[in-house]
Amino acid sequence: MESTIVPQLMITGLALGAVYALVATGFYITHLTVDKVNFGQGDFVMVAAFLMLSTRSAAIPVMLAIPLVMAGMLLLGLILERVAIRPLDGRRSSNVGAFAWILTTAGVAFIVQNIVELVYGKSSQYSPPLFSSDRNALVHVFGMRLVVEELLVIATAMLVAALFYLFMFRSRWGKNIRAVAYNPDAAALLGIDTRMIKVAVFLVASLLAALAGVLIGPLVTVQPHMGLILTIKALVVAAVGGLSSPIGILAGGLLFGIAEAGSNYVDSTFGDLYPLVAAMLLVALKPSGLFGERAADVR
Amino acid sequence: MSVDVKRAQGRAAPLAGYAAFVAAVVALPFLPVSPFVLHLAQSLCYTAIAVIGLNVLLGLSGQMSLGQAGFFALGAYGSALAALRLGWPVPVSMAVGTAVAAVGGAIVGVFALRTRGLYLAMATMAAGFVVEILSQRWVGITGGAMGLTGVPQIGGDAATFLALAAGLYLVVQIGADYVNDSFAGRRLRALRESEAFAASVGISVRRWRAVTFTGCAALAGLAGTLFAHQSGYVGSDAFTIRLSISLLIAAVIGGLGTRSGPLLGSLLLLGLVEFISGVEKFGPMIYGGILLTVLLLFPQGATGALVGWRRAPSRPSAPTERATAAGGRGLSLEGLPAGTSLTVESASKRYAGVKAVDGVSIRVAPGTIHGLIGPNGAGKSTLINLIAGLYRCDAGRIVIGTRDVTTLATADRARLGLARTFQNLQLIEALPAIDNVLLGMTRRRSLGSDFKDWLLRRDFEAAARTEALDILRFLGIEHAAPCLPRELSYGHRKLVELARAIAQRPTLMLLDEPIAGLNTVEAREIAHAVKQLRGLGATIVVVEHNMEFVMSICDAISVLDHGQLIANGTPDAVQRDERVVGAYLGAPAESAEVVA
Repeated sequence: MESTIVPQLMITGLALGAVYALVATGFYITHLTVDKVNFGQGDFVMVAAFLMLSTRSAAIPVMLAIPLVMAGMLLLGLILERVAIRPLDGRRSSNVGAFAWILTTAGVAFIVQNIVELVYGKSSQYSPPLFSSDRNALVHVFGMRLVVEELLVIATAMLVAALFYLFMFRSRWGKNIRAVAYNPDAAALLGIDTRMIKVAVFLVASLLAALAGVLIGPLVTVQPHMGLILTIKALVVAAVGGLSSPIGILAGGLLFGIAEAGSNYVDSTFGDLYPLVAAMLLVALKPSGLFGERAADVR
Repeated sequence: MSVDVKRAQGRAAPLAGYAAFVAAVVALPFLPVSPFVLHLAQSLCYTAIAVIGLNVLLGLSGQMSLGQAGFFALGAYGSALAALRLGWPVPVSMAVGTAVAAVGGAIVGVFALRTRGLYLAMATMAAGFVVEILSQRWVGITGGAMGLTGVPQIGGDAATFLALAAGLYLVVQIGADYVNDSFAGRRLRALRESEAFAASVGISVRRWRAVTFTGCAALAGLAGTLFAHQSGYVGSDAFTIRLSISLLIAAVIGGLGTRSGPLLGSLLLLGLVEFISGVEKFGPMIYGGILLTVLLLFPQGATGALVGWRRAPSRPSAPTERATAAGGRGLSLEGLPAGTSLTVESASKRYAGVKAVDGVSIRVAPGTIHGLIGPNGAGKSTLINLIAGLYRCDAGRIVIGTRDVTTLATADRARLGLARTFQNLQLIEALPAIDNVLLGMTRRRSLGSDFKDWLLRRDFEAAARTEALDILRFLGIEHAAPCLPRELSYGHRKLVELARAIAQRPTLMLLDEPIAGLNTVEAREIAHAVKQLRGLGATIVVVEHNMEFVMSICDAISVLDHGQLIANGTPDAVQRDERVVGAYLGAPAESAEVVA
């Protein structure tokens, strides 16, 4: 084994892990506020990756392409909330119980996936790199050869995460969102438009999916069926970090990415399964995750 | 809200429907139908087996699984490999396959015990995904996408396989119907409402959840074994998340929590699959569209739509009866055990530095009504939950009668004779009032004789129902027996909850704010009923804010403030206690004197 392989794997893992963390942060904000998540979040990432691919191949510059993709994903998030989330309000005691949203959001994911498949075909595609001229451009640091693209993806994802925390914990909007999460009725009495907040969290989640899609494109091959596994991994990441803790989710994502890069290197056949199984065992042992708290079920 | 089909149809002897099914299966091969129809009939039977499992899991116990395809695959590979590689006879290999799936279910079931809701959905989806990947890539064992070929088939002709699949389906359907109608169905539905509630009526939450999850996985596995031996070929393509979602679609589309839902839903699913095979390109879109349509427009599913169309909602027939009924007519109750004493010895409970209950000692004499009062945040609810077992004491002891229950779980305390009602009212919304009362009763017959009665007698659980009706009559709401909780007034729902507590034959009752939200007439009914219960020897602890109510019914009162016991005694003595007056008026005793 080359002595530099470990840091290289770390960087690869951190890049993907940072993207997983962005996807999982989308789960965090909607789970916090309305106790629901989009089971098609991974498919939304896939859609964003394809939108990015299209805008790039239309020779639109990156700095214009990203806002376009974000706008498209905002629209999709709006549709999701309107079609799969809002109609279920006040129907908690339906037959499917509190779980109808899992199936409705999965339903939207199926439709979205099918449309992408019809438009782009089933085959895998390569997305051009965002930052460097060449997918495999390398930079030499202390004798290690690191992929420039990966380093910049990590940096961008960290920036997005930092902006998200500022938004969530420093801005008035974030305060309103947390107020609605804590007690929607009290928040409404304080003049917060809870209806709008409940829509807004899904828009924020969609934006996070958009950025994750933009960033993941150059790291992996893009294909219409990549969404499900992204959803699963991001859910596991969120569970490991603790769904109630954004810092935990970031840590969980990075840990998971590194573990995955390592185990993929060791075992190319089943490498992606080990971190998944390990993470599930961890959640079974510590259901609140590494950083989360769990309230008892006292109704 | 689940439509209770049994109630809508009256209780027809279940045998007739089963006999009709057997006749259809026996007749089918003799009819001029194509082999394709026989093949579909086979598929229908095993699909329905898997869907029945999901129906019990999601429709009754309220647990979500997005990974049934994984258990289906475990059953299929288990049976196929045992028959193919080990040469075991097919019936044995099928048992092996089912067992493998059950073991897989038990392992994932660890999650079912530790987590719920979103986490359980995630865990089952991930487990299904792991099995899917293994079946694709572990080519040495599974053959991957090329699959296993030459898996021994059953009997050799389509009719034999159909008979086997139909027979197994029938057994599973009968078992599920029994679960649906019997004590087990009530308990699973209670679990679905809330775990704290289920534990409070003596249900071992963990055991029931684990057994349900494992059983449901075993049923998916059994379906998988039949699939493996149907055409002699097992390929990994069959076991994707799409199968898990398909089974969920079948369960929902048929009508969750209904008896005939799984068969109907499986039939619709197979029709859908045949339809989609013509337009494969749009497959996922059609699945997604159906999920949205059914969940948003027809959440009751096909069975619910059919039954809802036949049945107008039942209305309580007699609001007039209420006036005469007010709070019971002094009827006696058979078999209410004599009340026992309750001793709380310097119990403490703190949350994150706040002492919610701080060294409180209370003694409740047998056969008395003991009030627990105090301003908001005084620690009353915490104390009630410490006694009920929902919380554990940080220090101190709880003794019921002579038994120290400090470390016992809620369900064990309930089985020792502790019954409670909830501040925010806990009833099974999907079942009529009388079934809610039955939930409180323990099964007093063996499982076998209960099952036999269910299968053969029209008056299943007749004795228990009579008893439950007696309790409802005692509380003056006999007419509410066939009504769903949502069809009743708030006051009557509270009475139904009280009836359930009485049905537990408690030696100690905890009533948490029994008249909160009631009007004065309803409050008087409750007061009357509670006094009647004391007359029958019950020991009752009441938490309540309404002073008039508390002072008029209690033999003794304990007053809490800031987690501490500040007064204890008869209503008169407590009312005159300066500290109590101070706690309630927020004024120190001295300034009260100055004002006076």
